[in-house]
Amino acid sequence: MNNLQRFQPPVFPVDKVVIPEAKSFRLNNGVPVYMIEAGTEDIMRIEFIFKAGQVKESLPLLASTCNMMLSEGSQNYSSEELNRSLDYYGIFLNQSAERDNAGIVLFSLNKHIDKVLELSREILFRPVFPEPELNSLMKKRLRWYLVNREKVQNLAIEQFFESLFGMKHPYGYQIIEQDFENITTSFLSDFHSKYYTAENMAVIISGKIHNKTAELLNVYFGNLVSSKITNEDSAYFLNGQMQKKVHINKSGTVQSAIRIGSATITKRHPDYTGLKIVDSILGGYFGSRLMKNIREEKGFTYGISSSLSSLDLAGYKVISTEVDQKNCQNAIDEIYKEIRLLQSIPVEKEEMAVVRNNMSGEMVRMFDGPFALAESFRSAWEFGLDNSYYYRLAEKIKTVESDEIIELAKTYYNIDDLYEITVRSE
Amino acid sequence: MINYKRFSLENGLRVLVHEDKSTPLIAMNILYDVGSRDEDPAMTGLAHLFEHLMFGGSLNVPDYDTPLQLAGGENNAFTNNDITNYYLTVPSENIETAFWLESDRMLELDFSQKNLDTQRNVVIQEFNQRYINQPYGDAILKLRPLAYKVHPYRWPTIGMDMDHIRNTDLETVRSFFFSHYAPNNAILVLTGNIGYDLAFELTQKWFGPIEKRIIQPRNLPEEPGQIQERILTIESDVPSTALYKVWHIGPRKSKDFYTLDLITDLLAGGESGRLHTKLVRGKKLFSEINAYLTADIDPGLIILQGKLMKGVDIHKAEESVNEVINGLNGKSEIRDEMEKVKNKFESSTVFSNTSILNKAANLSFFELLGNPGSINDEVESYRKVSYEMVIEAVRRYFVPSNCSTINYLSGRKEK
Repeated sequence: MNNLQRFQPPVFPVDKVVIPEAKSFRLNNGVPVYMIEAGTEDIMRIEFIFKAGQVKESLPLLASTCNMMLSEGSQNYSSEELNRSLDYYGIFLNQSAERDNAGIVLFSLNKHIDKVLELSREILFRPVFPEPELNSLMKKRLRWYLVNREKVQNLAIEQFFESLFGMKHPYGYQIIEQDFENITTSFLSDFHSKYYTAENMAVIISGKIHNKTAELLNVYFGNLVSSKITNEDSAYFLNGQMQKKVHINKSGTVQSAIRIGSATITKRHPDYTGLKIVDSILGGYFGSRLMKNIREEKGFTYGISSSLSSLDLAGYKVISTEVDQKNCQNAIDEIYKEIRLLQSIPVEKEEMAVVRNNMSGEMVRMFDGPFALAESFRSAWEFGLDNSYYYRLAEKIKTVESDEIIELAKTYYNIDDLYEITVRSE
Repeated sequence: MINYKRFSLENGLRVLVHEDKSTPLIAMNILYDVGSRDEDPAMTGLAHLFEHLMFGGSLNVPDYDTPLQLAGGENNAFTNNDITNYYLTVPSENIETAFWLESDRMLELDFSQKNLDTQRNVVIQEFNQRYINQPYGDAILKLRPLAYKVHPYRWPTIGMDMDHIRNTDLETVRSFFFSHYAPNNAILVLTGNIGYDLAFELTQKWFGPIEKRIIQPRNLPEEPGQIQERILTIESDVPSTALYKVWHIGPRKSKDFYTLDLITDLLAGGESGRLHTKLVRGKKLFSEINAYLTADIDPGLIILQGKLMKGVDIHKAEESVNEVINGLNGKSEIRDEMEKVKNKFESSTVFSNTSILNKAANLSFFELLGNPGSINDEVESYRKVSYEMVIEAVRRYFVPSNCSTINYLSGRKEK
């Protein structure tokens, strides 16, 4: 045994993606419910999703404030009682308002399911938006905002979205201090009654599913009826700015933040799965070209990555890094160099194998356990897609060829279309 | 209940295996019993720099990451004051690749000047990104030397001075490797879709031939008891004034650990924690406030940190913090709250143990502490904390002479 030859063991392809299907049904009032059975522990994750994201807001901060204020007092509980009760039962509550959707996620031991549903109903459908809590929240948020505006990465990404989507659209506008003074309780009540409604809701449950779960959901949520209010879409269109290069001066900073990217197709587009692979090669994993070149070869940065994301109205891709001030321009040049290489030189077989297998491994992790499964389900469902999207992605990972990578890189990474945002000290 | 089996190799490597058939993945965790506390004060940050170097290739593997990615695996690592911990997950069919990679870098690293040069730069960029280019980022760098005068916890894991990193040479790196990286200074844990027999066989095959190395017993200077309150006031260009307070506590294995953990949960566990309820929601003195234990193996700290609302006087804020802490002796009220934080501890333990990576990391750490079975006793240890223990600990630890404070003042004119 001491003469062990330390050769690389054989690697087996990881290409059997198995995704448990969600069981779906509707509550008595038509609310869709998706149930995913998974895991070994007697726990649950339950998510309530509403089309109540920023895209629905008539003024900045309205969607996020409405979401945050849901747990600040309801018809039957003060905010303190709500929080104490959640903590007492060991229930974890996450609230979030994203670009398109908003809602809450709760994690709990199954033995407390009644409490989970009762408190969720209070939070979602019986909030009272007390004025003192609103004032106090807005003052706090202003402090958090001021701290966040000190961070170069935040300044850069906010400018990036403004450049991509426009100063007037909720996907694009940047928050200013004044915005914290404009939200009133009546705006909140109005937004809530329009968008936090049964007909605007879906439920995703994962974990160990008990026989009575469906019945209990009907007890707590099956009788809610929606008042007939028409949802309004933003009055503004997405509107990419003319100026492609934006530089923000932040004095005293030792590192520059760089964001390079543009708006692109969404998950619904047939090219999206291929584009995911292009993104991965470029900067989507630890061994990506950007990481190898800019961190591992040159040591300019602690980290650099690219990502491809979908929103309802548009997708976007972005390359993100913080680099040493003096190497800022070098890093930018290298980023463009890597994009040009992707557009002109076929990816070698060895690299392609690493990318394929790495992404296949990632897909195994995306469907491992009740929490990952729910999140993956949701991120296809939001776009009206189902697991066939993931099977297509898995197939594309297996079969994509280097000429297709070149074509996709040429079509979607046209350098003249890319926005370049830098934050640095002059 | 987390079941596991344990064995040791002749070279001293300790191994634990926990089988979980519900996942297609296997997690492998390797803990090396070396952290920043083991560094020479003139060469700090070496343990963490070393963690970076561990990905630069080893004797028979030119590059660690690529073969793992090829096997569909994912990995990372962290270094703290006490340990350096490497972890990965991989689809079960490719677990042998993980054995090959991890055993090779335990065997011997490929010490190249090029890798050292690059990773030195990367670490300096990491230092800038985390501590210099973030508002309040330097507070923790200033807290440690205020609280510790002698013990190596006085410097941060990344290093007390980036010149130490700049000055590291290959010889230092080599000798650090052979004096700390060894089968007899490591713990290997496998969790997930792997049975004991296969784990045993592969461990023997890949780790068995690595020779035992000489590890000097740890002999760290003890931190003398603090006798006087310490206060540091700094002014910085940040939007809000912040308050940092730390108190010395005992080692991770001391009997008060769970009592103090419960106290920080009473104070700062979630939205219904006392500090948040009374000082953020009630008196509106802070925009955010938090408290936690460092959970270091040697005597550690309770750390409390909060950011003040506009116009609040820092001394008034501090006084109110002390009132909340001293208010922990209201008997009837606190019993309910104790039940609450105990329930929450139990449920967060269940959630944490749904992840094979968490289970692997926790088993490794408890093995290092001397009893991996404690992973199943944590909830009970926490539940056993009584009202009397809380009162006693508050009286003992939360005294001014045991406390160091940083008044981190905003030097900016409010608009």
